[in-house]
Amino acid sequence: MSVGESEQSKAGRKLAIATAMLLFSSHRLPGVRGYELRRRLGKNYLKIIDTLNHRLSPLGLRVKVVFEEGNDQPSDEDFDRARFFITLSEPLSLSDIVAAGWRIDDLAILSATLAYLFSRGGKAHQNEVMELLETKFPKWRIEAAMERFTRRGYLHKDEDNMIYIGWRAFAEVDQKELVKAITEISPGLSETSQDSSETSSGEPPSPSP
Amino acid sequence: MPNKQRTITREELLRIIQLCESIEKSGIDPFTVNVRELLQKLRSILESSKDLETVVLDAETLYRVALVIALQHRWLLEKASNLFVDTQIIATRILAADKRALASCLARSWRPIVSGEQLTKKMFIAGLEYFLSLPPRAGHERKLLLGAGEELQIDEEALLDRFRQRDVLESEIMNMHRELLERREEDGGLDYWSFISLEGDGRRVERAYVLAFIVSEGLAEIKRNPITGEVRIYPLESKVERSNTASLAIAVRGREGL
Repeated sequence: MSVGESEQSKAGRKLAIATAMLLFSSHRLPGVRGYELRRRLGKNYLKIIDTLNHRLSPLGLRVKVVFEEGNDQPSDEDFDRARFFITLSEPLSLSDIVAAGWRIDDLAILSATLAYLFSRGGKAHQNEVMELLETKFPKWRIEAAMERFTRRGYLHKDEDNMIYIGWRAFAEVDQKELVKAITEISPGLSETSQDSSETSSGEPPSPSP
Repeated sequence: MPNKQRTITREELLRIIQLCESIEKSGIDPFTVNVRELLQKLRSILESSKDLETVVLDAETLYRVALVIALQHRWLLEKASNLFVDTQIIATRILAADKRALASCLARSWRPIVSGEQLTKKMFIAGLEYFLSLPPRAGHERKLLLGAGEELQIDEEALLDRFRQRDVLESEIMNMHRELLERREEDGGLDYWSFISLEGDGRRVERAYVLAFIVSEGLAEIKRNPITGEVRIYPLESKVERSNTASLAIAVRGREGL
């Protein structure tokens, strides 16, 4: 009996350690690598993460694993190198995002940029992206938004002015869902059905992302 | 092989290498290059000239063409995983959509990371305990130099215990805010250093710590004159929401070290 209890308390402690490691940013970036979890939780860390995932589910959260390279059948090494995050399990409504301080314009810029980059295999020249976005937004706004998104990790820009999808976009944005949503926009009817109740002007003063 | 012919061959190979590199770097559709044509050209160059330099350059070009083929392979895989969505279709949809529709598309597919970045009280206490547990450097005793032979002794345990109690800290903040309002001068402000040293050097660090909370809370403004270096506090009657904030680091080590 006491052995069972001690096993239970040990598992509970490991769950608590895993939660703390995943929630608290101990590095510059949030989340932890698989090998860091293995070092703290032991070789069965994936089982602990799986249990944690079940516990988080009723709270609307989940553990997201981002592999360094897209992999359908990841090996142990792939999990070791992968980055583990806790994310929301369901998307927020547009009104919730706006209430959290995001501007509709910024969201639209990020949405269009990511969709375009996904369709281009993950990278495109800055001029191409700017050309596309300038049909809808002033240049200064696009540049400011791109700068912010690069800082936040949604985008990555190299010295040749190539724009790539950033680590945060891989962790937070469902590529297929976004591309599907964009392709479902009917050319004649630009207003999508979701969040049709949204009435805000979408221009809260701050903070920006 | 005549030199002129060799130069033309070399330029041709370099052009092919450049073309392959530009495709690799720019991320444009790798199928825009006719690989079969390039390989035929390479073969004809190799057959016509057998000198070492051309063969080496030819091998380098072949390697670049192989990379383009690898890119074509990856491109096809990505196209397949993207449900065969073409860039042109995406661009057309983006052009047709309004801002709200685009934002809604992102909202549908976006699940933000949940993480904590804030310094907690527990972390602060752990940090302070660690700091206080550090041995003195190079034979120095644990003391803060205040200048001309003065020494500041800190009652570590008392200070820790004091700030462990949240309500104590809150009442300290309220008392100090009241004191600030009472002591403000004609221009509505008062000197920072005089204020934190009011209760003697022994409480200077503690008063500076509490004052930092008052400023962070929006109950006072703190301004530093860039020319004279004078730091003044401007207490506010009630809490204000700031649109723009900035941090001001002040080292409290005694007047000589200001």
